[in-house]
Amino acid sequence: MKQYKNIISIAVVALVFVSLTLTAWFLPKKDFSDSERRKLEQLPTMSLETITNGSFMTKFESFTQDQFPLRDTFRSLKAFTAYYALGQLDNNGIYIRDGYAAKIEYPLHEDSVTHAADRFAYVYNQYLKETGSKIYFTVAPDKGYFLAEESNYLHMDYENLFALMKERMDFAEYIDITGTLDITDYYKTDTHWRQEKILETAKKLAEAMGIEYSEHYTEHALENPFYGVYYGQASLPLPAETIYYLRSDTLDHCIVTNHENGTIGGIYNMDKATGKDPYEMFLSGPVSLITIENPSCKTAKELIMFRDSFGSSIAPLLAEGYEKITLVDIRYLRVDQLDKFIEFDGQDVLFLYSTHILNESGLLT
Amino acid sequence: MLFSSTPFLYWFLPCVLVLYIVTPRRLKNATLLLSSLFFYGWGEPRYVIWMIFAIVMGYMFGLLIEHFQNNAHLAKLFLVLSVTSSLAMLGYFKYADFFIQNFNAVTGLSVPLLKVTLPIGISFYTFQILSYTVDVYRREVKAQKNIIDLAAYVALFPQLIAGPIVRYSDVADQLKKRTHSVEKTVLGMRRFVIGLGKKIMIANQLGELCSVFRNSSEQSVLFFWLYAVAYSLHVYFDFSGYSDMAIGLGKIFGFDFLENFNYPFISKSITEFWRRWHMSLGSWFRDYVYIPLGGNRVCVPRHLFNIFVVWMLTGLWHGAAWNFIVWGLYFAILLIVEKVWLLKHLKNSRILSHIYVVILAVVSFVIFDATSMGQAFSYIGAMFGVGENPLVSAEYFYYLRSYFVILVIAVIGATPIPKKIINGINQTSLGGTVMTIVEPLAISTLLIVCTAYLVDGSYNPFLYFRF
Repeated sequence: MKQYKNIISIAVVALVFVSLTLTAWFLPKKDFSDSERRKLEQLPTMSLETITNGSFMTKFESFTQDQFPLRDTFRSLKAFTAYYALGQLDNNGIYIRDGYAAKIEYPLHEDSVTHAADRFAYVYNQYLKETGSKIYFTVAPDKGYFLAEESNYLHMDYENLFALMKERMDFAEYIDITGTLDITDYYKTDTHWRQEKILETAKKLAEAMGIEYSEHYTEHALENPFYGVYYGQASLPLPAETIYYLRSDTLDHCIVTNHENGTIGGIYNMDKATGKDPYEMFLSGPVSLITIENPSCKTAKELIMFRDSFGSSIAPLLAEGYEKITLVDIRYLRVDQLDKFIEFDGQDVLFLYSTHILNESGLLT
Repeated sequence: MLFSSTPFLYWFLPCVLVLYIVTPRRLKNATLLLSSLFFYGWGEPRYVIWMIFAIVMGYMFGLLIEHFQNNAHLAKLFLVLSVTSSLAMLGYFKYADFFIQNFNAVTGLSVPLLKVTLPIGISFYTFQILSYTVDVYRREVKAQKNIIDLAAYVALFPQLIAGPIVRYSDVADQLKKRTHSVEKTVLGMRRFVIGLGKKIMIANQLGELCSVFRNSSEQSVLFFWLYAVAYSLHVYFDFSGYSDMAIGLGKIFGFDFLENFNYPFISKSITEFWRRWHMSLGSWFRDYVYIPLGGNRVCVPRHLFNIFVVWMLTGLWHGAAWNFIVWGLYFAILLIVEKVWLLKHLKNSRILSHIYVVILAVVSFVIFDATSMGQAFSYIGAMFGVGENPLVSAEYFYYLRSYFVILVIAVIGATPIPKKIINGINQTSLGGTVMTIVEPLAISTLLIVCTAYLVDGSYNPFLYFRF
């Protein structure tokens, strides 16, 4: 019996070991991980220098991890083991509650929030103070705002964040949009809110800023499935979602200019809709400077929106009330260079940032 | 290269296994030596030269000591030269900056630090070479004439970077002739995968919990305790897991290394704890420092002195910092107290003696992990309510819940209970039959899950590298 057991043991373990080894060696290598939205490490170049300074070995380890056969399946297995078998409350900082994947945003980094507010104050003092612009700011809560507390997950001190921002941005009028949102207004697998669910939020902003607001949109669905950024990070089984986007006569006639590459197009970039991150279909995703011009606008009002990616889907819903909206992302455009690209002459100004970016504001220039 | 890494598991190890199998018996040690040098060079290419230098020195001194064994003075001279050169190399790489820092602090001078990188595993292979030359001097073993065999012993990759400290006398015969069998391979394979699981599934996870604690903004008294318990278990599973992998790999290549851990947390005294914890190091210090100093066959003051010296050196072996020295002396004091008075009282209550050992061991590992003595005192004080920390915090509850299952598995896994259960099942006829199928599947599943963790994550530091 013992002999049989030994033979079976060797046969089974060797089968697993040899199969994994051979596939790790000979399976074709991939360039990109769709689930993680990043390039995968390739076999590093070997040279005397890379060997002696250790970079070859470091990169080789990354290469073996990145190119491991059935990598996504293995990552899911790890997530499943940690989350379900070992009862860990999160996997890589992502947890799932009521079908919604959310990231633990904890603790509140007051220095980061202060840094963000200081950068906005710099913009105000440098460009806006003397222009007579009406200045507003709002904060888009992350999903943890709705999920964490009642589920006993760690979460930042949101009230403290709002208070800090209000205290340091006393030059701007705060528009509280938290009451217009709930967890169902967000994608289950992504960090962002859903455009078709934030009409009330847009209305609240429009009313506070005193502009005309249209509620006449038609919903259109993207055909391709949408897996948000948390899907890849969590590696847990989550169903695909559908991205809906809103159209109207006004939006269909808006002219969107991407000042990074000089291209002109519409509100929705349908090339991006089938790309690695379909959410980038909204105003082409992360772009440092982009304008929306509304030829059918009845007023000559303009808006400058300092924003993060949450702004991409909500800005079009404000287009009805403005002849021109300029969206600026100061993560990619230096604030001390803004006057080279934008003429500040009394436009309305809205700072719209998510709690996540405010709490991790190192990228704000 | 770490055992618990994809380059080792699925690139290095398969190549070495194939090479080892196809190599004729007389060249197997050479194959192991070349593989070991590659393994060592992967992490520290330039320090391969130092290791080869240390091996050559050990080889020459071994031969010289044996050659002049009838001339006591010359034999002793070569032994002293061997010990001095080995310790000088260890001292230069590991302790020079520590001594310079303290010298500067005492004298007020500013002697510049050498800032040399510590070669991986130098403490382990230096002690192996020392034990070899001392054993040759004591005529307990014959000097190895074949430098390949000696080099294969010193550099043998399964135990090169994290032990156990294998004595030459224990493997001298196996270097010449060792048996390879299906049974031994199965035992080795199983032991390796279990060690891998201990390292990846438990030690690494508890290491993450400790990192979370260190970066916490909301520390509380119970969070300090959670950290201290998690860190103690982390060290145990990290090190014993690595020892399991080393012993398992050794078996696959035909060697039988001695055990290094024997469930230390079930001890009923600190004296017993150290008979079960890092046994290869404890016995090394006993045989090569404590007994030569006179052991316990001397007057009481000298005996106490011997204990303090051995435990100070044990602490210093773990790292060139005061917290390690204090950690060693902490155990010296406990062992003396037990020897003089406490040991007989501990036999009165199994439960209290267990609690006593666990608490003192947990406190010791807080000292062990501290970045300074100030931090060690601060942490230990916080555990016992000194300071203004609240009793609990949101973070404490969250991480206790999140790591509860892993902690329970770790606590049970630190006792012989799982082994007893499996042995009990194996001893019944039905259980034995079921285990014939279940055990290989369980080992394969564990290997697959460990691989999943490796593929997913990059958190994989190995604690004992710094020794």
